[in-house]
Amino acid sequence: MSQNDNLDLKPVPGERLKKFLRRSDVLQSTLFGLIITGVFIILGGKYYPEWMPAAMSTDMKAIVKLMTVFTWISAPVCGVVLGIALYSFLNRHKGDTPPPDGPATRTNGPVVLLWSVVTSALALVAVLYGLTEQNSTSLASARNAEDAMVVNVIGSQWAWSFDYPEYGISSHELMLPIDRPVSFKVVSVDVNHSFWPVQLGVKVDANKLAETLADTTPTKLGEFDVKCAELCGLYHAYMETTGEVMTEEDFNSWVSTQDGDRNTK
Amino acid sequence: MTTLDSQVGSRAIPNPKNSLITKLNAGTGLIVGILFAIGTYKGLSNTLDTSVYHLHNQVLLATMFMWSIGFLVGIGAFIGPVRWLVGKDLTAEEQLYMAGDGQGISRYFKYCTDHKVVGIQYLWGVITLLAVGGSMAMMIRTDLFNSGGHFVTAPIYNSLVGLHGITMIIALIIVATGPFGNYIMPIMIGAADMAFPRLNALSWWVLATAIPVLCSAWFLGGIPTGWTAYAPLSVQAGPGMNAFLATIIIFAVSTAVAGMNITATVITMRAKGMSWNRVPIFVIGATVSVALAIPAFPTFMVAMIQTAMDRSFMTGFFDANVGGTGWLYAHLFWIMGHPEVYVILVPGVAIIMEIVPVFVRKPLFSYTAAVVGFAGIAGLSVLVWAHHMYMSGWMPMLNGPFMVTTEMISVPTGLIFLVILGTLWNGKPWLKVPMLGAYAFLWNMLIGGITGLYLSDVPADQYLHGSMYVTAHFHYTLMGAALTGAVAGLVYWYPKMTGHMLNERASYVSFWLIQIGFQILYLGMFIAGSEGQPRRVADYASEFINSNRISTVGAYTVGIGFIILLWAVVHSWRHGKIAPMNPWGAKTLEWTVPYPVPLTNFDTPPVVTSDPYGYGRSAK
Repeated sequence: MSQNDNLDLKPVPGERLKKFLRRSDVLQSTLFGLIITGVFIILGGKYYPEWMPAAMSTDMKAIVKLMTVFTWISAPVCGVVLGIALYSFLNRHKGDTPPPDGPATRTNGPVVLLWSVVTSALALVAVLYGLTEQNSTSLASARNAEDAMVVNVIGSQWAWSFDYPEYGISSHELMLPIDRPVSFKVVSVDVNHSFWPVQLGVKVDANKLAETLADTTPTKLGEFDVKCAELCGLYHAYMETTGEVMTEEDFNSWVSTQDGDRNTK
Repeated sequence: MTTLDSQVGSRAIPNPKNSLITKLNAGTGLIVGILFAIGTYKGLSNTLDTSVYHLHNQVLLATMFMWSIGFLVGIGAFIGPVRWLVGKDLTAEEQLYMAGDGQGISRYFKYCTDHKVVGIQYLWGVITLLAVGGSMAMMIRTDLFNSGGHFVTAPIYNSLVGLHGITMIIALIIVATGPFGNYIMPIMIGAADMAFPRLNALSWWVLATAIPVLCSAWFLGGIPTGWTAYAPLSVQAGPGMNAFLATIIIFAVSTAVAGMNITATVITMRAKGMSWNRVPIFVIGATVSVALAIPAFPTFMVAMIQTAMDRSFMTGFFDANVGGTGWLYAHLFWIMGHPEVYVILVPGVAIIMEIVPVFVRKPLFSYTAAVVGFAGIAGLSVLVWAHHMYMSGWMPMLNGPFMVTTEMISVPTGLIFLVILGTLWNGKPWLKVPMLGAYAFLWNMLIGGITGLYLSDVPADQYLHGSMYVTAHFHYTLMGAALTGAVAGLVYWYPKMTGHMLNERASYVSFWLIQIGFQILYLGMFIAGSEGQPRRVADYASEFINSNRISTVGAYTVGIGFIILLWAVVHSWRHGKIAPMNPWGAKTLEWTVPYPVPLTNFDTPPVVTSDPYGYGRSAK
């Protein structure tokens, strides 16, 4: 579409585009596409935060935001694909014989190129966004490593137990003080489990004889669920316990009531 | 017998009298297989103490393999190779007999080398597997209808999850390349048969022997591991696990044979003039799929052999106590597992691409983009396996690179969408059931792809991994996209495979029931996953009850839809409207041959002068 185009054979580029944009199928597909994009943006922004449990940590907050943003990035893709598909679906041929032949369009170089560039750009945005998020999470955990409270998480068929080496106590419930970084060192005594304190947005597998790490900072008071996210045999479904994010005073008094209790060792 | 079948019956049956081949069939295979199995079990039980865990595993595994070998001996699979060993071959008469021409129904129960017979055998094998796997899915959803209520016990639930998974995975791996890759594809490329007809028969019958082995898992106490069979859980599992391991090992042999055969056929046996840019896109898709399976499945086989050795010989490949690691298993599994997703998906996509031009009467938009898309997907798919292991704790440093390769797959996948949308553009579609499948495919693949984007992202996966969200995501891609493509292909090629049209009203009704039910089923599951329900749980907290009930209602709708489809397939096989030679007005070669398709497909070998997408007003 450069100025070298033969003007006798082709109308000026702007006019061709204008004519294309005024076609009713183009208008209708675009309209469908815009509506679908809007619907996905609104639904994604509304329902993911609604479905997902209330965020109780820095990680979980980032995850809820990420789900919403990814929905927004993908909404225009849905708009384009479904807009064209919906128009074509509604504009159908009726009857019991095959329809007449359509135009013999074999390919369209610029369209293929544009499409590849746009999908690559969208993929790149998703990659960069994900990498940045991941990077900031690992930076945060590196920063917090010094003053983080260590909790040794031990998975066994089919229960979790938590050792607090700092206080010399252990428990079957995961109590955490608010706003203090916590570092989970996770291990299994038998098969693979996956440590998942749901509302904290953290997950890591428990492997036998190989310690894995996860960390976060609880930011909201309240109870949360701890589940196992890796099928671990008979009572996998019941391998769950509860935890609570508490104020520092509450946490300290809980620690004192647990003193000397090492029944899980 | 209808007129069509009596035509088949009226042909002269070659009868190489006194040849062993004429006396063997699936019945003799069954007898010899069972004798081998019983003999092995009795013999080994007498020498090995089956109350010892690993010795019991040895006995069971040996029994299962001997059943498979015995069946193949009994059906005559080794007659040809044995003749070669002694410096002879089958006589021409015997070879013609093995092709099964004119033998009616009985040839479907023989070691038959005709690719069309093998295609029908695969079709019914797939239908059987889907029916078994689907029934298990219904039981799973019934159990999950109530929180705290137990339709089945926890061990049975865990077995259901695992056996549903592996049954469906096996069914979907062969769902397109089995029936259509064998029946239709050789005709599509103008070949008289497959490159290696005897291996073709072997690939089906080896697979057939795996089905009873898989079912035997139920009688050996089930499997507690899910279809991923992660070690060390699989190593401590009960005797049912042996059935799983043996099934995969036998199945891997079958896919290797079938994959090699299909690839060789497409490379060497295309009709004169069918250059690579004139090959129908389904053939390209099927070839990419099986060619991808050839390097992928051996790692699965190795993982299963190592698990079997850990269980039977106490080797400790995956036992941390003696220096092994479960991560090794996870790697081997997913190095197969991710390419395998595309082994399933690509033929489904290719069927849709084959269908759309026919029903829109337009050329396939950008054939090159389609081929590049398939090649890109296949190439990238071997570099993404560790995205299943983001949360395993193995090398968190490598999560970033694997996230990059995974999200790059959206570029070739984008090309797939472009090809289909570009073909729809400016066209007036003829909304027969196969074409409806194309629209369902677009929607399902879009949802499956986009939810895959969330899962490929490491921080989001930190929440979603191992939740119901993952289950919903991969059902959208495997069932919503790949199986929808295969069902569309079944409706599309049914006339050529059976000589009858598939009952139209029933297939419409089943299409809408399946697709609408499917959306309800997995919408509920996406919600449950977002809410934080782990997958593969026999029971869940009461807060998840609404989303689970939505899913169960959707699942029953899907189930009813498939029952109607099954009825239509069975009923129309004999009583459907007689199909014209080319009911859809398509331009690929399979529509130029009559039904019943002659033994060597074409009277004179076809010569191809253009690709099969020459639709369009200004084409000439």
